[in-house]
Amino acid sequence: MAEQAQPKKSLPKINSIDQAYWRGAVAGKLLLQKCTTCGKLQFFPRVVCVDCFSGELDWVEAKGSGKIHSFTWVRVPRNPAFREEAPICYVNLILDEGVIMESRVVGKGVENIKLGDRVKVIFQETHNPEIKLPVFELAN
Amino acid sequence: MRRKKVCFVGYGATEYSRKSEASALWYYAESIRQALRQTGLHKNDIRGFSITTQASPDYSPHVAEQLGLEVDWVLNGDYGGAGGVMSVRRAADAIEAGHVDVVVLVGGNSFDKSVSNQRPLEYQRANYVDVYGYGGPNSLMALIQRLHMEQYGTTLEQIGKIAVSQRENALNNPQALFREPMSLQDYLNSRMISDPIRLFDCVMPCSGAECVILASEEKTKKITDKPVYLVTDAEISHYQVANMLPDKTTFGMKVVGDRIFSEVKHEDIDLFEIYDDYPIAVMIQIEDLGYCKKGEGGKFVAAHDLTYKGDFPVNTGGGELSVGQAGLAGGFLHIVEALRQLRGEAEGHQVTKAERALVTGIGWLNYGHNLGTTAALVMERRK
Repeated sequence: MAEQAQPKKSLPKINSIDQAYWRGAVAGKLLLQKCTTCGKLQFFPRVVCVDCFSGELDWVEAKGSGKIHSFTWVRVPRNPAFREEAPICYVNLILDEGVIMESRVVGKGVENIKLGDRVKVIFQETHNPEIKLPVFELAN
Repeated sequence: MRRKKVCFVGYGATEYSRKSEASALWYYAESIRQALRQTGLHKNDIRGFSITTQASPDYSPHVAEQLGLEVDWVLNGDYGGAGGVMSVRRAADAIEAGHVDVVVLVGGNSFDKSVSNQRPLEYQRANYVDVYGYGGPNSLMALIQRLHMEQYGTTLEQIGKIAVSQRENALNNPQALFREPMSLQDYLNSRMISDPIRLFDCVMPCSGAECVILASEEKTKKITDKPVYLVTDAEISHYQVANMLPDKTTFGMKVVGDRIFSEVKHEDIDLFEIYDDYPIAVMIQIEDLGYCKKGEGGKFVAAHDLTYKGDFPVNTGGGELSVGQAGLAGGFLHIVEALRQLRGEAEGHQVTKAERALVTGIGWLNYGHNLGTTAALVMERRK
């Protein structure tokens, strides 16, 4: 009998637009795009600045800290490979640089999470040694 | 956009089913057959056709979103080799009609393999959402509902009232998949899916189809003595897209509402078919449309009777929450229910005074923000 394929956790399919972001994550850096024309910061990575439409975008390292804007406890993850980790704390957070992100909060105290809680980024290993995922922990 | 000479002349609807093995094409055909029967039109009278279904890749709005364009007009110009000419034609129509004054038409392709083998223009969903084990749209709407509850004190009882009232509306709608009474307690006790979204906040996927037929006023007079006029309509895609600190509890429906109600008065609307993928989305749209202030949607629904017998009838046939969601049917359910009401054909759930209806549609959830596309129209019965 053929071996049953286990479902794998989703990994990013890195492309030319966001390659630098994922290289940063492996190196322990959370990168945002910064428009060199108007100075706007943005996330997720795109080919243009959403404000001035310039294509001249640079990468800057975020401090990696922010606060919880909203959160949900995912009881039924879409990908079954995540089911044993449910409930998953999926969040919107506002980075201190003033940019909204979606991510996950893990670690100590997460069961008591509330809006406004301070969080800081950590880089989680995946089954691919060349990819690390930025996730967040409560700061205190 | 004020309309004067465009009418709905009929509609068709199939049964909704969770067991059917019939093809999508069969459902499309059946809904059209029903409409032809109702109007007495022959197949050959149909001179235009549009299809909205899950197979549509939503290509053009995703390009717009990717490029950060907040737009009043968006079109899949996918007509093969005629795409350029056809797009110019459609754009000219839209400009003439006053929807938009600056349109950019783009054609092209790329052989970037890293992009082409994934859903190319929604890569952010794969790379920045899926990887964290999220639970689909339920999770994304849960983030919005929690914010609404925390910022404005909105309660589960207020949100649940929308689902419960719609169920009452569905009890006598033969098309509805759910026709058993549901209490507020049933709603509150339903299984948690992605806190605070519960099972009874979610729609049931199923098979089914609807269609509507539109005609010029002149043609309409030859087809039906129950004309329903399109009065006004508006849309916006990617409201707040360039804002990295978006207001998640305000949809583009606010802009749409301002446009709609520059043409008609709030009090002139007799019934509301409000796109209801979730009860909280209905509440937010009621606010955005200006029936109450932002954050007071909870108090508003508590103070009004939302059933077809009530003073603020919402989703009078049960909406998607109780009837079912036929694929991504795109809200044709809501348009057809409005037509039934205005034509006096909503047996068992007829609104007594049904002369003018508001119908809304909202589409998908953008990264970090809220709805991608929001749109609404007002229709009116005339003698």
